[in-house]
Amino acid sequence: MNRMSRPFLAAAVAAVALFVAGPALAATPGVSECMDCHGDKTIEKTLPGGGTLSLYVDLATYRQSLHGKGSCVTCHDDAKAPHDKLKPVNCGKCHSEAEKSYAGSSHGKMHAKGNKDVPGCDGCHGKHDILKSGNPGSKTFRFNIVGTCLKCHKDRALEARYSHLPDQKLIAAYEQSVHGMAVKKSGLTGSAVCPDCHGNHGILPADQPKSATHRQNIPTLCGKCHAGILEQYEKSVHGKGLRGGIAESPVCTDCHGEHTIVKASDPSSAVSARNIPKTCSACHEKEGISTRYAIPKKRFSSYMDSFHGIAVEYGMTKAANCSSCHGVHDILQSGDPASPVNPANLPKTCGKCHPNAGPNFAKGAVHVEVSPKKAMGVFAVRMFYTIFISALVILFVLHVSLELYGRWNRRRRGEQGGKEGPS
Amino acid sequence: MSRADLASGQVIRMSLMFRLQHLALTVLLCVLAVTGFALMYHENALAQALIRLEGGVHNRGIIHRIAAVLLMANVVHHLFYMLFSREGHLELRDLIIRRRDIDDFFQSLRYNLGMEAVYPRFGKYGYKEKFQYWGAAAGIVLVAITGFMLWAEGFSMVFFPKFVLDLAMVIHGYQGMLAFVILFFWHLYNVHLHPSVFPMNPSWITGRVSAEWLRQEHPLEYEKLKEEGLL
Repeated sequence: MNRMSRPFLAAAVAAVALFVAGPALAATPGVSECMDCHGDKTIEKTLPGGGTLSLYVDLATYRQSLHGKGSCVTCHDDAKAPHDKLKPVNCGKCHSEAEKSYAGSSHGKMHAKGNKDVPGCDGCHGKHDILKSGNPGSKTFRFNIVGTCLKCHKDRALEARYSHLPDQKLIAAYEQSVHGMAVKKSGLTGSAVCPDCHGNHGILPADQPKSATHRQNIPTLCGKCHAGILEQYEKSVHGKGLRGGIAESPVCTDCHGEHTIVKASDPSSAVSARNIPKTCSACHEKEGISTRYAIPKKRFSSYMDSFHGIAVEYGMTKAANCSSCHGVHDILQSGDPASPVNPANLPKTCGKCHPNAGPNFAKGAVHVEVSPKKAMGVFAVRMFYTIFISALVILFVLHVSLELYGRWNRRRRGEQGGKEGPS
Repeated sequence: MSRADLASGQVIRMSLMFRLQHLALTVLLCVLAVTGFALMYHENALAQALIRLEGGVHNRGIIHRIAAVLLMANVVHHLFYMLFSREGHLELRDLIIRRRDIDDFFQSLRYNLGMEAVYPRFGKYGYKEKFQYWGAAAGIVLVAITGFMLWAEGFSMVFFPKFVLDLAMVIHGYQGMLAFVILFFWHLYNVHLHPSVFPMNPSWITGRVSAEWLRQEHPLEYEKLKEEGLL
C-alpha cells in the first residue's frame, strides 16, 4: 500500500465508523429509496458521445437474481441519494478467486488497460439480472454460454479491430460442429461448450503454455469427456511421443479439427474414410518428419497407387484406409507385437476384409514403394516393360522410315510393290 | 481362303466370320483400354474424367470385366475356329511363322537400305502380319492370366503372396500398354497409313481387296490363286 492511499483509508475507516455508530446520520439508501429514482422507466443520462443510457432498474428482475436478497449498496457502496456518477462495481470484493483468475486472462489484461471491448464481469454474467450458471435462464448456462461468447467472437468489426483474434467464421463453425449440434439440436448438457475447453475467467490464447487449449494440454482436455479414447491414445505411439516431449506428435485436434469438429462418419470430417489418407499424410508424407523419427517414407503415394487408395479416392469407402489397418487412437509402431500391422498380425488384419488372406499372402511389403531396394520384382518388371515398349516404338519408327524409303526407291524404278492407290 | 470376284477384280481377304471376330476384338479392346488405362493412370486429370464418365471406380471395374469376358469368349471362339474349322485351319497354315519369314524380314531390311536388288515376295501374310497376330496372341494370354488372378483376388490370395499379385498387376497394366503400342504404331500404320492402302484397307468391313493390290503386296498369294484358277 502506498503512502498516497493512506488518507483515503483513514476516511473510509471513519465512514464505516460513522455508519456503524449512527445509521440515522449517514445517507445510506435502502432499495426502496434507490427505486424512487431508478424505478422510473424514463430515467436516463446523456452520454458524452450524445447518446443516452437508461438508468432504469427492473426491481422484479433484480429480486429474482442471485443477488436479489441483498441491497443496492452491497455492490454500489458509494451510492447516496441522490448521487453523481458512481465508481465501477468491484465484484472481486466477494469473488476474489474469480477476480484473480480474470486478472491473469487475456480479457483481464486488456480490461486493466482500459479497453472497453473486452468483457468485464458483467459482459458475460449480466448486471442486475445475474443468475447462477446452473439456472437455464443464466447467460452462462450451458445452453446460453455459446451465444454469450459469440456475441463478441462472431463480430466481424471486432475481428477487424484486433488482428490477433481468430477468424470469426472459424469460431462460429462451432455451431455446426458435433459439439455445437449436440447442444443446439439434441439438447445434451454433456456436450462441450466454450468454457469446457477454453476455461472461463482465466481464459488464455492457445499459444500460451498455461492455456487450457495449448497443444500439450489438448489430450487431457478432450479426455475429460472422452476418457476411454484418452486411455487408448496415451498408450499409442502418438500419445507416448507427445508425453515424451515430442511437440510434433499429433494431438486430438491435429486430426479431428477444433471448432469444425464433426462426426467421423460425416464425409466432410478430416477423419472420414475418404479424407483420412490426406489427414495422416499431412505429417507422414513430410520428408522432415520421416527423417527425424526414422519412419518409412512414401506411405501416402504408395497407398494412393494401390487398389485401396484408388477405390477410396473415388468414393468406395469400404476399401481399406490408413486406420483400417493401423488402428485409430491406439496406433502402435509396426515393430510392436500388439500392432495390427506387425508382420505376425498381418494375416489377421488383412483377414478382416479378405478371409482368404493367410500367412502366405502376407509375405512382401504392403505399401509397394517401387525401388530396387523395396520392391525389386515390381521395379524390374516395370523397367523391363518401359525399356521394351520404348525400344519397340523406336524400332517401329525406324522400320516404317526404312520401308517408306525403300518403297520410294522401288517406285522410282517402277518395280512391283511400289504402287500407291486403293487396295 | 480367298475367292476371286472376277467381275470387279476383287479378292475376298477376310471372310464374314473373321470380320465379326475382328470387329468384336476392336470394340472390346477399345473398351478395355479406356477403362484400364483410366485406372493405371488414375492421377491424371483425363483419367479421372474417364472414371467419372464410366460411373466411378466400381462401375469402371464392372465394365472392364464384362468386356474382358466377352473378349475371352471371342478368343476361345477364334481358337476353336482356327483349330477345327476348314477355313480356320487353312488360315492357321498361312499364319505359322516359318524360317522364310525371318529371311524375308532381313531381306526387306537389306533391300530398303539398298543392299539387295530384290524385295521379298510375300504370301497371304508377310512377316508384318504374322508379327502382329502372334504378338497380340501372346499379349492376350498374359493379360488374361494376370487379369483373372486379380479378378479372383480372394482365390488368388490363398495361393499367392501379395508380391505375386503386385507383379500380376504391373504385368497386366504394362502388357496392356504394350498391346496398345503395337496396335497404335504397327497395326494402324499397316492398315491405314501404309502408302498402298491409305487411307484404309477396306477388307475389315467389305472383306475384299483389289486383285491388283494383292499382286503388288502379296504376290505369292496372287500367284497361288491364279494357279488354282480362282483368279
